[in-house]
Amino acid sequence: MTVPAPAALESRIAALTDADLARGFDAFRSKLSAAEVSYLGACVRCGLCAESCHYFKASPELENVPARKLDHVAAAFRRHATTAGRLLPGLVGARSFDREMVRAWVDAVFGRCSLCGRCSINCTVGIALPRVFRAARAALASMGLVPDDLQATVDNSLAHGNNMAITKADWVETVQWLEEELQAETGDPEARIPLDKKGAKYLFTVNPREPKFFPLSLQASAKVFWAAKEDWTLSSDPGWDLTNYGLFSCNDEQAGAITRNLVDAMERLECETLVIGECGHGYGAARWEGPEWLRGSYPFPVRSVLELMDEYLATGRIAVDPSRNPKAVTLHDPCNLVRHGGVREPQRRVLRRAASTFVEMAPHGEESFCCGGGGGQLAMAAYKDRRIASGGVKAKQIRETGAPVVVAPCHNCIDQLMELNKEYKLGVQIRTVAEVLADAIVPGPREEGGACPRP
Amino acid sequence: MASIDFNGTTVELNPEGFLANPAIWTEELAAVLARQEEGIENLGEQHWAVIRFIRQHWLEHDSAPMVRSICKTVGVPLKTVYELFPSGPAKGACKLAGLPKPDGCV
Repeated sequence: MTVPAPAALESRIAALTDADLARGFDAFRSKLSAAEVSYLGACVRCGLCAESCHYFKASPELENVPARKLDHVAAAFRRHATTAGRLLPGLVGARSFDREMVRAWVDAVFGRCSLCGRCSINCTVGIALPRVFRAARAALASMGLVPDDLQATVDNSLAHGNNMAITKADWVETVQWLEEELQAETGDPEARIPLDKKGAKYLFTVNPREPKFFPLSLQASAKVFWAAKEDWTLSSDPGWDLTNYGLFSCNDEQAGAITRNLVDAMERLECETLVIGECGHGYGAARWEGPEWLRGSYPFPVRSVLELMDEYLATGRIAVDPSRNPKAVTLHDPCNLVRHGGVREPQRRVLRRAASTFVEMAPHGEESFCCGGGGGQLAMAAYKDRRIASGGVKAKQIRETGAPVVVAPCHNCIDQLMELNKEYKLGVQIRTVAEVLADAIVPGPREEGGACPRP
Repeated sequence: MASIDFNGTTVELNPEGFLANPAIWTEELAAVLARQEEGIENLGEQHWAVIRFIRQHWLEHDSAPMVRSICKTVGVPLKTVYELFPSGPAKGACKLAGLPKPDGCV
């Protein structure tokens, strides 16, 4: 069975030598931990993972079953790394790691998987499929088989310190403009968006998509910090971008180099805590994977900005009036933030306080479905139709809540949700948590002599 | 590869509706893209001002401009940019200006 790869990859696959293939397979093996090796022989073919996958739910075909995707990877492992597979490949379902198999891997791990991990938590025997698929992506990366548009985003980060190749002058000008906008919005001429404030408590990081195209979310985050009288800063040099597409291309050296920007900025600005803005993969990359890539723990803590917002409300540091958000809101759980990242409740507590009505999707939390844009899917144009189709599961969930506002603490998810909004005619508004919270802020205890109208 | 019909010839688009070959862009083609890809029946003066600025910026700098730059140069509020192009500055305005799809979370 031959699965077509994106055109640009196909010519590279056709040109692979046996030495390239051997190198790729070695890269695969080198990325596997002992546990992951055992996962390769652990699938009991119960089929429960099928219904857990948004690709399968949207298009119920064999190649979309997570166990099938796993089998493409495991079959090559059996063939080249087990005795039975070497001697009796046909008997144990072992298949050679050849060009055809490479096509199957590209299709399975780049083309039909967002590394969301929902199959994993619904797996009878607990196979960590995303870990295995990341090792497979790493093998493809070692053979130069990362889709070009995904790799371009990584290359931008390596060359420019941010994934959209924004110049320092453009970044700084946008921040200064947003500061003026913040002053106009709050009526406070002292409202600041600090740049390069040495020794600030928090170094805040954003997604380049915000300054480039959607700056209202950055202004909203700044308004929250302003209301909390927070001691925070942004970096004008690299270290302001929280994204790391190395998590998706699975080139760990490049991923580590991108993480290094954050560590360097923390050292340069002597901040206490690295704060990751509203982003799923950026949180996962900085909080959990970064120390692995850099082979050492950070000398500073990493927190999600959602945790800070939650604290501001819990301690009364900022006050809100939920009637300023009269429309019902529902919440999308980014896989890298919630299922993989463990940040589940802060955003819920914030929305319950800041909005009049909060409605959960079914299912949600760890069992939430991927929006379809994760794992680098948003960057890979070749798989656009599958991305939109698989997002139909999320679109249905959204429609069933009846909520006119969808909140997503992740800019990648937001872009996918915007497309789903258009394709599935959902007619919803899509916002960040900070945007909802910022709208609800009322003059609180920070105003001298002012009463605090807490709900 | 997707495509649209343009004056009897076939124009290739990438799977996301961006021109496969950004060099062939014309204003007439932009109007067709607006109708077929973005559901915008008629491009008004403000649409054109934004589209022409983005196109010029791309020709000169090989990149899409910051939305700040669009607002400042064209003289439109941010809110208006989002109203003019419901798919946003990247998947809406840049697409109609014939740019390749910008990298990043878009």
